[in-house]
Amino acid sequence: MSRDVFIAGAAIQPFGKHRGTATEELGYLAVSRLMATAGLEAGLVDIGFGGSVYGGSLLAQRVLQRVGISGQPVFTVENACASGASAVNLGWQAVASGSADCAIAFGAENLSSFGGGTLPLTTNDIEIAQGMVMPAAYAMRAQRYLHDSGADVESLTNVSVKNRRNGVDNPRAHFQKEVTSEDVENSRPVADPLRLLHCCPNSDGAAAVVLCSEQVATRLPGPHVRVAASVVRSGRFSTGYRDMTWPEITERAAGAAYAQSGFGPDDLDLVELHDAFAIAELLHAEALGIADRGKAHAAVANGEFDRDGRVAVSPSGGLLSRGHPVGATGVAQICESYWQLTKQAGALQVSDARIALTHVTGGGIFGVDNGACAVHILSNR
Amino acid sequence: MTNSFAPPTGGAVGAENFLTDGVRAVLRVTRCHNCAGMWFPPRDQCSTCASRDVTEELTSSSGIAYASSVVRIGPPRFQAPYVLAYVDIDGVRVLAHVDSSEALPPGTPVALRLATIGADEDGPVLSYAVAPIMKGEAR
Repeated sequence: MSRDVFIAGAAIQPFGKHRGTATEELGYLAVSRLMATAGLEAGLVDIGFGGSVYGGSLLAQRVLQRVGISGQPVFTVENACASGASAVNLGWQAVASGSADCAIAFGAENLSSFGGGTLPLTTNDIEIAQGMVMPAAYAMRAQRYLHDSGADVESLTNVSVKNRRNGVDNPRAHFQKEVTSEDVENSRPVADPLRLLHCCPNSDGAAAVVLCSEQVATRLPGPHVRVAASVVRSGRFSTGYRDMTWPEITERAAGAAYAQSGFGPDDLDLVELHDAFAIAELLHAEALGIADRGKAHAAVANGEFDRDGRVAVSPSGGLLSRGHPVGATGVAQICESYWQLTKQAGALQVSDARIALTHVTGGGIFGVDNGACAVHILSNR
Repeated sequence: MTNSFAPPTGGAVGAENFLTDGVRAVLRVTRCHNCAGMWFPPRDQCSTCASRDVTEELTSSSGIAYASSVVRIGPPRFQAPYVLAYVDIDGVRVLAHVDSSEALPPGTPVALRLATIGADEDGPVLSYAVAPIMKGEAR
């Protein structure tokens, strides 16, 4: 009914501030690079998906037609921070079902055009009308997590220090500079208890992957890895009392991905998760099952999530270093994991990396943890 | 007690979702009789089980803070810094401004009020908001 799907190439247009470069140009640069490095000809591509939040109508067509992919079915996908990973999921569905042998999925975003400050939330619900911004949502989760777990603000700072350290050697990262605990704790307050260096930067960038059948993968020159699971879930809507320190959307998406792949949290060599804010790494690590409930802060402090630790978490630097061009992030996580599993990660390499999980979640709409969450598990076996 | 409560006048944020007596505020919520879901803002159909066997109720004007933050960067109309809290009140969790300069510790009892939560070109922006209840203060 469903067949194995492989990733046979990856490319990132480095993340950072590219104020004068339109979203479609960033997407084009990533896709063009992908086709060159993967040895992929346009005629081989059966279907294309492009993820973006602010990229506008028909972004995927505007990008893909520049590299000779026109005429085929092409879709532009919007799913908040999970837009790019949702595009990958749709490419995976197309190949897994047999309706396509080869798909391109990319994500692209330019946030510089909004200037500084918090990202505009365009859904205009009752919480946004009251002044909700994304840092405030995570700040309140942080306050409650620290209250319930007994951890202190230093546990948030430790996440920023680790992920910024991981990003130093990533040429695709927005920030490639270490920070100290003092730097983090002296950075300007954004939404208490979060300070600026507890928050990822708004970035511009793009990323792209090719998804294909085993037959196509073996014809392409580069190495390939198997997509062991590809899952997207929406948030469960509730305006009643609920536990905001337990992102149930992550738990459900990860649970489905573990069931689909046959792997569990103990099998993972590395995880690229949605550390848009330092607290998010703690919440999602627990919901993914790589740390016990209320204990992720101790795992970070003990070095268990370091690149050479029990399970490497955000070895690419995470959103805190790479930055967060929202629609591109989920695809970039998959690119970074592809390079890890094919031993092309250079200074970022996690030794003996065989199984990787990527997790991206987002969407500031009221009544849900997040609007959309995507989890992928990649395996080099 | 709610006889003296009426919809706010003069274009408050969320005006259709709460009543006020000029000082206190109460929320319009929906209770589902099929699955016990509680909803704010009110609705015709339960968003959990899709039942239309629902009724509208008014909350009291007191609740408990679940979590809170001082927001120091935000939309201009709210004139940061401002304080937000998630407040549990009679079965619903609601985001509201806090009349305080500090974040509320989880568990803080609060009173629901009509308050100014910001300002724009048309003047003060009114809505429901919460204030911490001090020990010994009557609700």
